[in-house]
Amino acid sequence: MMGEFEYLLITAAANLAENAYGVAIREQIEATTGHKCSIGALYTTIERLEKKGLLTTWMGDATPQRGGRAKRMVRVTAKGVREAKGFYDAVTGVSRGASWVANRTRGAS
Amino acid sequence: MTNAAWSVVEVAARSLHPDEREAVMGDLKERDESAWQGLLDVLGLVLRRQVMLWKSWQPWLTAFGVTVPCSFLLMGASLSVCQAWLWLIDARTLRSADMAAAWSLPMLACHAALLLGWSWTAGFVVGSTSPRTLWVSAVLCCSPCMFCLARFQVPSLSRLCLLLFLLPAIWGVRHGLRISSLRLSWAIALASATTLMIALIGSSGTQRWWTPAAWVLNATLTWPAWYLVLASIKLRKKTCGVSTEAGGSIT
Repeated sequence: MMGEFEYLLITAAANLAENAYGVAIREQIEATTGHKCSIGALYTTIERLEKKGLLTTWMGDATPQRGGRAKRMVRVTAKGVREAKGFYDAVTGVSRGASWVANRTRGAS
Repeated sequence: MTNAAWSVVEVAARSLHPDEREAVMGDLKERDESAWQGLLDVLGLVLRRQVMLWKSWQPWLTAFGVTVPCSFLLMGASLSVCQAWLWLIDARTLRSADMAAAWSLPMLACHAALLLGWSWTAGFVVGSTSPRTLWVSAVLCCSPCMFCLARFQVPSLSRLCLLLFLLPAIWGVRHGLRISSLRLSWAIALASATTLMIALIGSSGTQRWWTPAAWVLNATLTWPAWYLVLASIKLRKKTCGVSTEAGGSIT
């Protein structure tokens, strides 16, 4: 099963669709979690997920606002979607009944 | 953001893969990060990459299986060749008639060729097996060199004799960085020639190769050559497997 940061990264990349690349993914993770996401954590995780076949990456076009540097574009694979869904199901499943879950089942409370 | 500060960031990013460097430097520019923050980000990534490299066996093998033991032993071999050269060219320093008889010019050439083969092979293994941790191997090679240079006490020889092995070793590293593996025929020829020369020298009487110390020395210095043979066989099998798979998919 994937780790929580891997799940965050895959979900952010899936939400961004065609615009998924380093800066956009970092900003989405930071906006969602409220924590700083380092470049080191981002790129090492992208590489790990690519090795697992959950992501594909390629070099995009260079843009002037990046000083003429290319973006590393990211796309979630079908396997990545399956794994992320598996992680989500596991987290929601195990969270059911937890005191911090708003609509928890009555029996568990 | 000064240009000088960003130059430091660029230098720090040089150890990254070119594509990754491009993406990271572009990200820093797009987010308008300060040079200091950029440097911390890049150093963090470089550190993570180095740590990840050390999770595999190759850096450990090249650092502690090849570089450290071979540096010590090759310094000894370099010294031995230089001393033999001195015995041969300067009759005044001849102290033993037996030694003079054993150290003929062809035997010295054999020792020198063996030193060349050992040094080149060790360098090649270091350069080809773990190129991204080469700087660690360089530091680990320098440490025993400095240690021995500081304690060198042979009046008739220059301290630089200890470092005779460095040139062929660096030559081997350069080759290893360019090509990841030798052709199998070359690897077998190199390993066989090295082993044959050890046997030849052992039978000549200049080195008692059957003693435990000589055995350990020869085995430590020769195993990189046989490792190259194994690596070439592995690569050949992999290449054959890929071509068979490609052939299978076409049919």
